[in-house]
Amino acid sequence: MEETEKKQKSLWDSIFGTIGEVIGTFINIFGFDDPGRPGVLRFSLPARTLHWVVAVLIILLGLTGLIIFVPGWGVAGLSGWTRIIHRLCVYCLTVALVIYFVSYRKSCLEYLKESFTWTRADYGWVKAAVDYYLGGDESKMPPQGHINTGQKIWQLITILCGVTMFVTGFIMLFLKGFVAPGVFQWALFTHALAFIIGGCMLIVHFVLSAIHPTMHESLRSMIGGKISVEYAKSHYAKWYEEISKGS
Amino acid sequence: MAKAMLIDVTKCIGCRACQVACKQWNELPAEETTNRGTYENPPDLSADTWTKIIFKEYGNDGTFRWLFRKEQCMHCTDAACVNVCPAGALKRHPTLGFVVYNEHRCTGCGYCVEFCPFHIPKMDPHHSRLLGYGIMGGKCTFCADRVSNGLEPACAKTCPTGAIKFGERDDLIIEGKQRVEILRDTYPNANFYGEHEMGGLHMMYVLDERPEVYDLPENPEMPAAATALSVAEWTGIGLGLLAGAGMFAAAIIARARIIAEEKKNGGD
Repeated sequence: MEETEKKQKSLWDSIFGTIGEVIGTFINIFGFDDPGRPGVLRFSLPARTLHWVVAVLIILLGLTGLIIFVPGWGVAGLSGWTRIIHRLCVYCLTVALVIYFVSYRKSCLEYLKESFTWTRADYGWVKAAVDYYLGGDESKMPPQGHINTGQKIWQLITILCGVTMFVTGFIMLFLKGFVAPGVFQWALFTHALAFIIGGCMLIVHFVLSAIHPTMHESLRSMIGGKISVEYAKSHYAKWYEEISKGS
Repeated sequence: MAKAMLIDVTKCIGCRACQVACKQWNELPAEETTNRGTYENPPDLSADTWTKIIFKEYGNDGTFRWLFRKEQCMHCTDAACVNVCPAGALKRHPTLGFVVYNEHRCTGCGYCVEFCPFHIPKMDPHHSRLLGYGIMGGKCTFCADRVSNGLEPACAKTCPTGAIKFGERDDLIIEGKQRVEILRDTYPNANFYGEHEMGGLHMMYVLDERPEVYDLPENPEMPAAATALSVAEWTGIGLGLLAGAGMFAAAIIARARIIAEEKKNGGD
């Protein structure tokens, strides 16, 4: 009797806690982090800036795309305003990525290398993932590097979907009428496919990084750049070992 | 029930009265074009030209014939444009069977232009490729305004030779096939086009040569990408909702377990 009551109570705590976290996320974006706070630097200022620029543009691209994607919703885009925004955003996104790549080539290459390097250690994450993300049980999680396997999957998907979107979008925007209709048709389908995969993973990324209790310092690290030493030790043990050796 | 038009190309003399009647009834402006060395004019359908006669110079073993075909929206039963239109601007008339275009719903994505197996819809000439504004320019309406008031379409009304016939679709199929039988004596390749193509066209042809001679696809099909896209859309919506609901549930469950764990540890 008491046991079930307790269980119910903790479920309600959890639901309210999650709602609080969602509201907190939006408040937190407007600066709750103290740059002078002690901790370990995880993301540099340029990387964080790029993240948020890309985030805003991708959300705008996604929403304007969603209007044309859901059958019947397209009429909301009368006089083509959604397409105008979609195009302006993709032009800005391209410029932002080119500027970042030219300015921080080394960090870009590291990012790519990191995303495409897969080892046996990643299987350990896959095995422990269910208990970790559903149960909040950290004990089985093997020590992770600078990014954990889940984040690596996300990085890989952003790269693959991003490239697919860019190529198919380019075909639809600039080569329309010059290529065979079949090329346009399949480009449109592939664009939609990348949108589905990327969009679903974006939802997963948002919940895991901003709301999920096990990753509670994730959002903070993308705003202020730092995470606490304890969080680094428990979540990115391998990486923490590396950077503390280096310093 | 379904209405249709039967175009007998062997009765067409290329006078283009239908082109003029279409422009007049639909209040479409004339287009300025340049001489391309052919009577065929304008060169293609456009936002302001919803029907035109295609002129073909057809040579066969030393003989020469001039072929004419009226080109316009085919009003397919299984129309690719209706399938891909994200705004519902293109719709199939439930009883009469025409493909109706509502320009007030069009957002100008241009998918209909790319997916139509007959290459009929054309963008408004003022649309912008790089910025994306503008709409589809319009296409044959089957004179829906006339037909629904008991009149026949303007092109059929004006045709001086009776090459364009308007009526019940079933009757026209029988009539067209009879005409093809007669034509077979003179033209062995004569055929009836439109009975089953794209689920049945509402613009059907009596042709004296193979369809491709008249720039018509032999076996027009719903583009596979159009079908794949519809499947992807509904699957994508489902997956998105599932991902959202699933992840929120996971976050709530994980938090509940952590809270329970803390309480247990705190209680000790």
